[in-house]
Amino acid sequence: MRPEQKLKKIPNGENGIVIKKSICTICDPLTQCGLDLYIKDGKIVKVEGSKEHAYNQGSLCPKGAATRQYVYHEDRIKTPLKRIGSRGSNQFIPISWEEALETIACKLNVLKKEYGPESVAFFSGFTKYFRPYLKRLTHSFGSPNYITESSCCYHATAMTQALVFGRQGLPDMANTDCLLLWSGNPFYTNPGNGRNLVKNQERGMKLIVVDPRITPTTARADIHLRLRPGTDGALALAMAHVIINEKLYDQDFVANHTYGFEEYRDYVQHFTPEEGHRLTGVPADLIKEAARMYAKAKTAAIFPSASAVVHHTNGIQNYRAVFCLAGLTGNYDIKGGNRYSPHSFIHIAGLIPTREQEFIQPRPWEEMPPRIGSDRFPVWPEVVDEEGQAMQLPYQIRSGQPYPIKALLGFGMNYRMWPDSEGLRQSLNMLDFFVNIDIFMTDTCKMADIVLPACTSLERSELRCYPMGYIIFTQPVIEPLYESRSDVDIIYQLAEKLGLEDELFAAGYETSIDYILEPSGITVAELKKHPAGMFVPNPVRPPEKSYLQNGFATPSGKLEFKSKILEKYEDKMGIAALPVYTPPKHSPEATPDLAKEYPFILNTGSRMPMFVHTRTFRLSWNSCLKKNQPAADINPEDAERLGIKQDDYIRISTPKNSIVVRANLTQMAQPGVVHMHHAFAQADVNILFEADYLDPISGFPGFKSALCNIEKVNETEVC
Amino acid sequence: MKKAVFLDPERCVGCGACVVACMDENDIYPEKGEPPLRRVYQIEDRRISENGIIYISIACNHCEDSPCLIACPTGAISREPGSGRIVTDTSLCIGCHSCALACPFGIPRYNAEEKMYKCTLCGDRISVGLEPACVRVCFQEALSLESANDFQGKKEKALMESLIKATSQKRIGFRE
Repeated sequence: MRPEQKLKKIPNGENGIVIKKSICTICDPLTQCGLDLYIKDGKIVKVEGSKEHAYNQGSLCPKGAATRQYVYHEDRIKTPLKRIGSRGSNQFIPISWEEALETIACKLNVLKKEYGPESVAFFSGFTKYFRPYLKRLTHSFGSPNYITESSCCYHATAMTQALVFGRQGLPDMANTDCLLLWSGNPFYTNPGNGRNLVKNQERGMKLIVVDPRITPTTARADIHLRLRPGTDGALALAMAHVIINEKLYDQDFVANHTYGFEEYRDYVQHFTPEEGHRLTGVPADLIKEAARMYAKAKTAAIFPSASAVVHHTNGIQNYRAVFCLAGLTGNYDIKGGNRYSPHSFIHIAGLIPTREQEFIQPRPWEEMPPRIGSDRFPVWPEVVDEEGQAMQLPYQIRSGQPYPIKALLGFGMNYRMWPDSEGLRQSLNMLDFFVNIDIFMTDTCKMADIVLPACTSLERSELRCYPMGYIIFTQPVIEPLYESRSDVDIIYQLAEKLGLEDELFAAGYETSIDYILEPSGITVAELKKHPAGMFVPNPVRPPEKSYLQNGFATPSGKLEFKSKILEKYEDKMGIAALPVYTPPKHSPEATPDLAKEYPFILNTGSRMPMFVHTRTFRLSWNSCLKKNQPAADINPEDAERLGIKQDDYIRISTPKNSIVVRANLTQMAQPGVVHMHHAFAQADVNILFEADYLDPISGFPGFKSALCNIEKVNETEVC
Repeated sequence: MKKAVFLDPERCVGCGACVVACMDENDIYPEKGEPPLRRVYQIEDRRISENGIIYISIACNHCEDSPCLIACPTGAISREPGSGRIVTDTSLCIGCHSCALACPFGIPRYNAEEKMYKCTLCGDRISVGLEPACVRVCFQEALSLESANDFQGKKEKALMESLIKATSQKRIGFRE
């Protein structure tokens, strides 16, 4: 221990330490915990959660608590870089910002002239704060190809809700009697929600959790439905069977506000609780008990997760079957049910009206060629208004169809997000020009022609809304390190260099925010007076049952058990209009021969508390919490049968490829299932997937149910 | 009565935020061979929990009758008057590991110079009325700084409440 020094990190008026306010954006969105930064001589010496922040109230998760290591990590990119070796060789020379921006603008304008603006794609990984400005830049440049990591995260769940409800319906946890949490573990992903979960349980809220794993969330459930990965649809349909046949459904609501009930009811008859048990592994009695608990509650809400259910080749249909339960029970847009609230900013319903939509869509879609993925996933552009489907990127780079993609400008892009990640990495080689902007030198940056250093959230400012009607426009707490710049500054400077005639880009960042916030009456000047954020002065809460006035925002104007949008693709693409259950593309049911050779179900991407994707892998404060990574979670019974001990090396193989990782023996994994975290450079599980292992409706990868085998590997083979 | 950091294992989810906050507060860097002062253990045993998994966050307990203090041959470990914290004077530590042998909880850690270090109960922070870093960071409010009797009282109250709830006929929000 270093000698104890009095008030080493606490301001005492003499030691020069001051506390400044900001937010953490290591994960995104909804979270963005308030931070108190202890600053001495322009450097952060200590971090803790802001007590006055409405979301985290003084607390932090292990990622946010490691902010200081994140900001000062040695892997930070220090200057703009130009590639001098071959792509991927990591040979770069520093260049000036002027040269970098000039080169990028010049190259993009040349490609625009030769191949059209659509030949340039703009991609956003994490975080999300700069997305509105990047989307505007894309369309202002003339390209439809604004694509993001939401192509395998946010959009499919939103898409499913749009197909069933017409709009999103968020769980009203504070007022519900029964929460049906369908695959999620907020204690590891969204601590504020975890805390709310416990508080509401103390109030008397019942909790049903659907999850193939044992987690701190399932441990707190009144009922845990531990299904086999990818069988969510069968479970939801079996619950519907109980609710319909025991007449527990809301007959008035179904008669007056829904479409396709008779056909849905007839289809559901196949899914008796016993058949549900056969398909999902969940005991029939537990299915009945959960269905009754959900349907008998005065109010019940479904708590969805961004990607757990939709990361299956049958993800959209499975989740439609889940949300149909809210239709059956009339729990849509009522207090304590799944409420509709319009988005204010970056997918968050912040209880204020804004002009975000006008800002991000300066050119209508009709004036541009179709977005990436529109031809292969035609449901996508019908339901997703925001962007292209990025999973199609490697295909379009390779084929040049329906038009060539020649350049890619990535912000925080990580090629390991894609199935067959190595395939995408090779596709990047075929681009004329690739720029990546990041905080750290990543393997994706190594593929770029030009790399630009972005600063962290503490070195710049950003606007965020929160669902409880809280808003913040942060101010930098330290100067940008090295020559790094804010992503937004890069976007605005590039707009100028590209010669775009765009009034708001010309007027600047803060004027743009004033433009976006104008309908709310909140200004940047006002927000700057509240560095820790503030509650919005006039929160707008839409009345319950918005559908009574204008109907549902679906083609039928009703809540759709049978989708009128999907109906159009029934003949052409074999997409069912009812929420039909089909087993995952590779599964013991769908491919029994393959399952003989690959008898385990591979489920990837379940969260560990100290990591969000790759963002804190490099921090010793986080990595020391989980030793011997990369490791796969396997059940002790399976391990014993195969002679595998804790921390032994194992090979996970699929027909596509194999990786070697350590074994972590835990009850969290059910027998027969292998759980592997994604995106480790040493063992990237996404190379085990074919690039076309996708849901045909959303284009989402089936990361959470494929087939694999595991075998013990001798230490000598590895070292 | 002196205050200590208590863990409510019913609330702990094993996230490790307390471990990180402790390293941030005390400038501990694992890459320099400095193990964290606080640790979180995931213990799986179906005999103790229906779901098979419990989490324990632990650091120095600042014991009333401290075996480490008695075992230390150089007087490097002492009790701070008033607060009752068990503190280490690194300059007196000879790296003999006697404290490690004596501690029933396995708490003492050694840095690259073999000097012992451990939780100080965030002496700086508690001296000005702040909670220790581990307590402050915990979103589950699983860690708390209080006296043993206060902690026991809370446990007692929670148990009584759950008994009342379990035996009450009144159920909230459900149609029978």
